[in-house]
Amino acid sequence: MVAQSIPAGELWNAIRAAGVQDVVLVPDTHQRTLLELLMADDDIRTVHCSTEDEALAVSAGLIIGGRRPLMNIQHAGLYASVNNLRGLGLDGQFPIVIMIGLLGRDPELDPNDDGSSMVRLCQPLLETLGVPWHLLDGPEDLICVETAFDEAASRGGPVALLVGAPTS
Amino acid sequence: MTNQDARRMSLDAAMEVLARRRDQQVVVGTMTANGVWRQKSPHDLNLACIGFMGGASTLALGVALAQPERDVWVIDGDGSLMMQLGSLGTIAGAAPTNLLHIVVHNGVYETSGSQPLPSQAEVDFEQMAKGAGYPLTASFGDAEEFDAALDDLLAADGPTLIQLYTRPEDRFYSASPTPPGSTPPLAKMWPPIANALEQG
Repeated sequence: MVAQSIPAGELWNAIRAAGVQDVVLVPDTHQRTLLELLMADDDIRTVHCSTEDEALAVSAGLIIGGRRPLMNIQHAGLYASVNNLRGLGLDGQFPIVIMIGLLGRDPELDPNDDGSSMVRLCQPLLETLGVPWHLLDGPEDLICVETAFDEAASRGGPVALLVGAPTS
Repeated sequence: MTNQDARRMSLDAAMEVLARRRDQQVVVGTMTANGVWRQKSPHDLNLACIGFMGGASTLALGVALAQPERDVWVIDGDGSLMMQLGSLGTIAGAAPTNLLHIVVHNGVYETSGSQPLPSQAEVDFEQMAKGAGYPLTASFGDAEEFDAALDDLLAADGPTLIQLYTRPEDRFYSASPTPPGSTPPLAKMWPPIANALEQG
C-alpha cells in the first residue's frame, strides 16, 4: 500500500461537488493546503472551533438548520471528541461527514500497521463506534466524498473520510 | 457585583422572565435549567443538549448560523459551560447576531448532587465572555432587575451573554435505563424541529 498525496484543488473540487455549504474545522497540519483553499472560498463558510467536541455540535446545529456541513479535523481530535461523537452521532443520529487527516502516517503502510498509535487506532476506534469510514489514499478515492454524504443520510449517522497522505 | 456577594434568584423566577418573551425562537436547554424551561415554555422549537456534555452553546451556534433570520437562545449551565469553555471564543469568532447565550450560574453541579464547581463558584462568565469578544454581556441576581433590562438586551445585536445568578436547589437527576432497541431521545427531538425550520 502506498498512499498518494491528493492535490488540494482536487479535494476542494470534490467537496464543492458534494454540495458542502459549511466546513466546521479544527486545524489539521495534514490538510493545510486544503484549508487554505477552503478559507479563501467565498461560497463555503468556514466555522473555526476551539475543540472537536464543539465542531460536532456546530455541525449538528447546522444540519438542524438545513445546511450541509463537512467537519474537518485530524485523528487526535477524533480521540478527543469520542463522547460527543457517541452522543450526537450515534444517539442523536446526526448525519455528520467527518474528514480526518492521518497526520504522521507512513504512506508505505496500511494505517493499521503504522508505528504511531494516533494513526493505528483510528480505524479500529471508528469500527468500535460503528462509524463507517473510507480511506482517501489517492485521487481515485475522491468519489467517496459525495457518497459519504449519501451514506450518512441513509444510515442516519456519521461517516468518516480518512485523508491518507498530506494534501499537496 | 462579585460572585461572593451576588444576590441569587430562583431558577423558576429566572425562567419565567425569559418565558414571557418566548415567541418563535429555537431554544436549546441543558441540565436542570432545561427541565424548568420546558415547564415554563413548552414549545415545538425546544431542543435539548442530552448526552454530549457542554455542547449546548455550540449546538445553538450551528442553528443560529444556519438560520440567521431566526433568534436562537441557549440556556446553558455554569458546569456545562466550564466543560467547553473554548466555545466562548468559537461563538465570539463566528459572531451570530441572532444568538442569546444564557448562563445559569448556581455554582454547583446540581444534577449530580450539587457538588461545587472547581472554582468554588468564583468564576465569572460575563467577564470571560467579554474577554472572548462577545459584544454585549450582563449579569443579574434579581429577577425584577433581569426583567427590566431584558427587552433592551434582546433588541441588540448579539452574540449576547447573560449570566443569571440562581440559588442552588436539590434537583438531583438519576438516569433511567434505556430499553434495548429504542430510539434515543435526541434522535426523536431534532428532526421535527429541522422540518419546522425548513418550512419557515
